[in-house]
Amino acid sequence: MIWKNYQLDSTVSKATEDITLWRTGKGILEISKDTLVLPIKLNEQRKGYVFHGHGKLLLDTVVETEEGAIGRPVEKEIIEPFLMLGDIEEIQQHLSTADKEDLTETGYESEQKFVTKAEELCDQFLGRGRVHNHRCFGEDHGFVFAFLNEADKLDILVAKDSKLVYKAMDIVFVSNKNKVVLKSPSEVVCTDNGKSVIIKRGKSLIIRK
Amino acid sequence: MSEDLKEEMKELKEEIANLKEELRDIVERKQKRSRGIYIDVGNRVHDYVEDVMEGVAEGIHGELEKSIFIGPQGVRIFRNRKLYRKEDEIEVSFHKVAKVMSSLGHEHRLGILNELMSGGKYINELQEQLSEITTSTLSSHLNVLEEAGLVVQEKVRGRYLITMPGRTAYKMARRVTRFLERRNHK
Repeated sequence: MIWKNYQLDSTVSKATEDITLWRTGKGILEISKDTLVLPIKLNEQRKGYVFHGHGKLLLDTVVETEEGAIGRPVEKEIIEPFLMLGDIEEIQQHLSTADKEDLTETGYESEQKFVTKAEELCDQFLGRGRVHNHRCFGEDHGFVFAFLNEADKLDILVAKDSKLVYKAMDIVFVSNKNKVVLKSPSEVVCTDNGKSVIIKRGKSLIIRK
Repeated sequence: MSEDLKEEMKELKEEIANLKEELRDIVERKQKRSRGIYIDVGNRVHDYVEDVMEGVAEGIHGELEKSIFIGPQGVRIFRNRKLYRKEDEIEVSFHKVAKVMSSLGHEHRLGILNELMSGGKYINELQEQLSEITTSTLSSHLNVLEEAGLVVQEKVRGRYLITMPGRTAYKMARRVTRFLERRNHK
């Protein structure tokens, strides 16, 4: 059978120090000490985590063109629960079991409450609660992050090496080395090694080579 | 007995059909993987990325439709004034105009913009080029330019980049000055 149900660990952990979950030349995602952590497992192997606490996302969603830079960087405090797929071994080394006080500080009465919240998030992201069983979420297959936004929908970040896809409420940013696509409420920009197409919403079309 | 056999045959056929379906999915995924970005995180995420790309393509298509006319004579790129008149008429307060203009009104800030016209730079690179300005003054000038929207700083790498409005404002300031100088000479 190809499809399997994921499982959430029943033991909630917490970060014993600040951890950098993902870092490239384009972005950084960090969580602070005491952030709650719950592993997502598939066939008893860790395939990801659900976090809740304090996190910070920095993303350089700025496109350089001959006409000037377009877009603004993303700088977000993450206080809502979020999900990460793609295991990094180091995380496990910086975790300890969370106690009742840790859970209360993040707004949970019990471990079960956090597990339920994590399940809701996973179901929202993974649909019927199933993940692909073949070579998924491995080190070589990049990372996927899903953040709950103000509209209770998910902002998604998919990253693998220099490849990056970020989709939030008002922005889509796709980048791979020198190729970048940015779609914001005011413009659509595509660049490839200095060549660019800029479409300002309702204004003009600029093509530069 | 023959009824049982028929039933079994039917089940086998269904099983074969299901297996064929799964095989087709696997082949499709392999083909996609060989074509470019592919992060194997399950169909749902893969579909999601495809949806995102479709959204971007639709956005581009929608905007191009408004701006470009492709006819038998060739391609015409135009701006539909009727459609966007409202946007053109948005009033900009003098306060805002003054803020942008005042950010340009300093020799050092113009020097910074001039340096950034050739590409993004780190603060130490700017410092090297504008050695007459101290680091703290340079930072405060960059803050003024950033607040006015003429410059943007990358959060990860930390480079400063001149924005589209920044480039336009810098060119405009130079053009106006050149025009006035020419007139004064006459």
